[in-house]
Amino acid sequence: MTWWRSFFPKRASDEQMNSELRFHIEELTEENIAAGMTPEEARRRAILEFGGHEQIKEDLRDVYRVRIVESTIANLKSAFRFIRKSPSFSITVILTLGLGIGANSAVFSAIDAILLKPLPFPDGDQLMVVEQKHVKVDNPVTAVAPVRLEEWNRMNSTFQAMTGYFTEDGSETSGILPEKVTQAAVGPRFLQVWGVAPAMGRDFSSEELHEGGPDAMLISDRFWRRRFGGDPGTIGKKLRIGKNSYTIVGVMPASFLFPNRDVDLWSPVPADSKHAQDRRSTWYSVVGRLKPGISVEQARANLATVQAQLGRQYPETDEDLSVRIKPLKEATVGGARESLWVLFGSVTLLLLIACTNIVALLLARATQRQHEISVRFSLGAGRGAIVAQLLTETFVLALLGAMLGLVMATGASSVFRSLAASLPRVEEIRLDGRIVLYSLGCSLVVTLLCGLLPALRSTRKNLSGGLGQVSRTQVSTRNPLQWLLVGVQVALAVTLLAGAGLLLRSFRELGRVSTGFDTSHILTLEISMSWGETADMKGLRQRTDRILEALRSVPGVDAAAISVGVPGVPYEFETELKLAEGRAEAEPKIIAENRYVSASYFNTMAIPMLAGEVCRETEGAPGVVVNRSFANAYFPGSEAIGHHLVATNLGYSGNAEIVGISGDAREAGLERASAPTVYWCAPVAEPGSYFLLRTENGPMTVAESVRGKIHEVEPTRSVYDMRPLEEHFSDALAENRLRTILLSFFAVTAVSLACIGLYGTLSYAVNVRRREVGLRLALGALRGQIVKQFLFQGLGVSLLGCAAGWLLAAAFTRVLSGMLYGVSPTDAVTLLTVILAVMIVATFASLFPAIRAARVEPMQVLRDE
Amino acid sequence: MPIEKSDLLQGTLDMLILKIVALGPVHGYGISLRIRQISKEVLQVQQGSLYPALHRLEKRGWLAAEWGESEKGRQAKFYKLSAKGRKQLASEESNWKRLAGAVVNILQTVE
Repeated sequence: MTWWRSFFPKRASDEQMNSELRFHIEELTEENIAAGMTPEEARRRAILEFGGHEQIKEDLRDVYRVRIVESTIANLKSAFRFIRKSPSFSITVILTLGLGIGANSAVFSAIDAILLKPLPFPDGDQLMVVEQKHVKVDNPVTAVAPVRLEEWNRMNSTFQAMTGYFTEDGSETSGILPEKVTQAAVGPRFLQVWGVAPAMGRDFSSEELHEGGPDAMLISDRFWRRRFGGDPGTIGKKLRIGKNSYTIVGVMPASFLFPNRDVDLWSPVPADSKHAQDRRSTWYSVVGRLKPGISVEQARANLATVQAQLGRQYPETDEDLSVRIKPLKEATVGGARESLWVLFGSVTLLLLIACTNIVALLLARATQRQHEISVRFSLGAGRGAIVAQLLTETFVLALLGAMLGLVMATGASSVFRSLAASLPRVEEIRLDGRIVLYSLGCSLVVTLLCGLLPALRSTRKNLSGGLGQVSRTQVSTRNPLQWLLVGVQVALAVTLLAGAGLLLRSFRELGRVSTGFDTSHILTLEISMSWGETADMKGLRQRTDRILEALRSVPGVDAAAISVGVPGVPYEFETELKLAEGRAEAEPKIIAENRYVSASYFNTMAIPMLAGEVCRETEGAPGVVVNRSFANAYFPGSEAIGHHLVATNLGYSGNAEIVGISGDAREAGLERASAPTVYWCAPVAEPGSYFLLRTENGPMTVAESVRGKIHEVEPTRSVYDMRPLEEHFSDALAENRLRTILLSFFAVTAVSLACIGLYGTLSYAVNVRRREVGLRLALGALRGQIVKQFLFQGLGVSLLGCAAGWLLAAAFTRVLSGMLYGVSPTDAVTLLTVILAVMIVATFASLFPAIRAARVEPMQVLRDE
Repeated sequence: MPIEKSDLLQGTLDMLILKIVALGPVHGYGISLRIRQISKEVLQVQQGSLYPALHRLEKRGWLAAEWGESEKGRQAKFYKLSAKGRKQLASEESNWKRLAGAVVNILQTVE
């Protein structure tokens, strides 16, 4: 098979060249001898006449050499000349591409930072989140006991090291006013797992990791700058948190933001501390670093064996536990992945529309340049050379567009940061070499996508015969390809707009939801607490009551309650519960969400009690409230009140009597229907508990007096995160909002581009057919007929595009189904509205060229002939 | 006065070569002789530009080349027209005639 050879130019060998040229010289010599010269003279003259043998050979070699550099420079020069000569065309193309490439690069920069790049730790892909899970229940994943962490770490063979952490908010009191700090309590080997060293100072020493050793702490770069003004002499200073005093041993690098970006301090929990020996305690989130070359599956199998062994050793606590492992990156990125890919899909559609637009422009342009191209052909230029020149022009335009796009992408990364501060790793989004390379790649792809078809079409052989032929007498050049392109643009725009429309409707539905509680006029705040305080429940309860009483006494505050987690903000804690009275095998298992609230919660949140009473904050057997869904699901047609629930692994012992049934409230997120829920009475505040205040007027009006009151009763505690409840909702919806805003923006851009395309193509068609129109008008056609004809041409193509778009949208919006609330992905109303909107815009885009066509002055056109 | 190569339009030499080769397989020396004979010594093609032109046309596939024996028994490279070359020649000829006709027209009108 030698078909591939045709790709490489045939090359004459050096020897063949020599013998070909030698033949010529010999013939010349003979000719000269025949003319009467001596053989020497004849040969000398022949060589002289023939010219430099070597020079000719060099010229021959040149024929076979592809002169990439020279021809590229020449092409670039002519491209720039071309751009200067047709500024409006060039600017249109550059702007369109700038928008397309810019949006694409911006979303890619987010995808790159959030999804593609490894975590900002050395060998970040080795880091795994390790969780323990109760096998008998769907959820929950519970935190890990310190002893178990130590055993996992000792017994496994696939991890370099494992460590654990939990965070709590503390009050730092060595300064004039208490300052709220976020403190991470960390297990042994913390820095070893991360592979990060302190920027200043040292890691914890082995004494500091043992019970009774000195209390040490690492501080964050942020805290170091905020509190110590970046003083290099900070190491060795002491901080006072709660009752303990800690020595600062090191400052972490600014890039180290773990477990989250708010952490100020890290302090070790000794593994041999006497509090840390209970196998039932739930303390740690565990992170481990895999040994090099170990896969997640191997580690999973290994830890399963380890846990099985522990299960045999400690059947009471460990038998039902299994271990789950997932890459830390996956755990960090979470649900952002889906949104980002949807956005990326949308901007790619947008770029495609932009490309289609430009193909249409270039095609129209090529028809105008037909003459120029014919001239070049007849002057001996090869088709390849002309195509290369046309492509270079497109490439230069695309490159300029990409540069503009990069400027846009830079702006976009700050938009990302402000629109979606809750997006994971959002601080890592920045413009770097990879994004520049990506944009460059985009412009290359765009060049081929946009430039190739017009370049090939305009250099077809039958066109090259057009020199000297003027299209003067042609009636019209119908160009089905251009209309096809317009149709494609409309179809893509309809698809995007349909997606945006669905997200918008879903967003609006969300705002209309009846939540089951009254969320206006609620102020939320947190007060610094530490887990250590939970050791003395009685004291904690008294303090909690005192704080709540103080809050209720503030003028303008109607009610106050505590709750673990914010109502209406996703926070899931689902477990299986048993019934003390027993249940038939055939009945469904009782699975319910658990919320910990004070008895005053129902009153504060205005959740109605349907039956019974609110939960009892008693010392003895607890009384719980269940919601209506719970009662309906597990006690259909019978009385729920009076039954006793047994929690298998909630840390509560004893039976809890169901004392009341409340209305359904959307506790776990406004977009989710309420699940069966059990409200446990938690009369104590813990780290992470929220105080909820119902206020008479706007929630923030009482903020200062509340702050002052708490300082009065609890001077060593700091108050933070004070804001209206509704702000939490918009945080929880931030990702949703970002998605909706961006997709809407892209969709509107897409529709505008499609309409510009329609307008441009129709205008071009009108221009080409001016003579025909003039002639028809002269022969008595009515102007209305002309308008109708062009208008219907534009509308017909748009209508076909809409139909195709409907089909595309049916496929595309299915991707969105997981992100929609209260509206189906194939919602006909949305689709019809979208199509109607597109058709209205298309009508306007077609109307102007159509009217222009009808304004043609027949006499003038005919005179132009 | 013979017209030097530089005065020849680029592309004209190609057309002449194609035209000559169309008569039958011929080697480079033969082509240079023919150009001189046919154009009554008006056109003189430098050997230096003849061979690159031949090779360029061969590379484009308009000419096919084959080694064979010359009339005097020497090894020579013979060129002949390919099907593609024949088409090209036809289109160049018609272009040329139109152009030439137009020029003649103009000259006559101006006179």
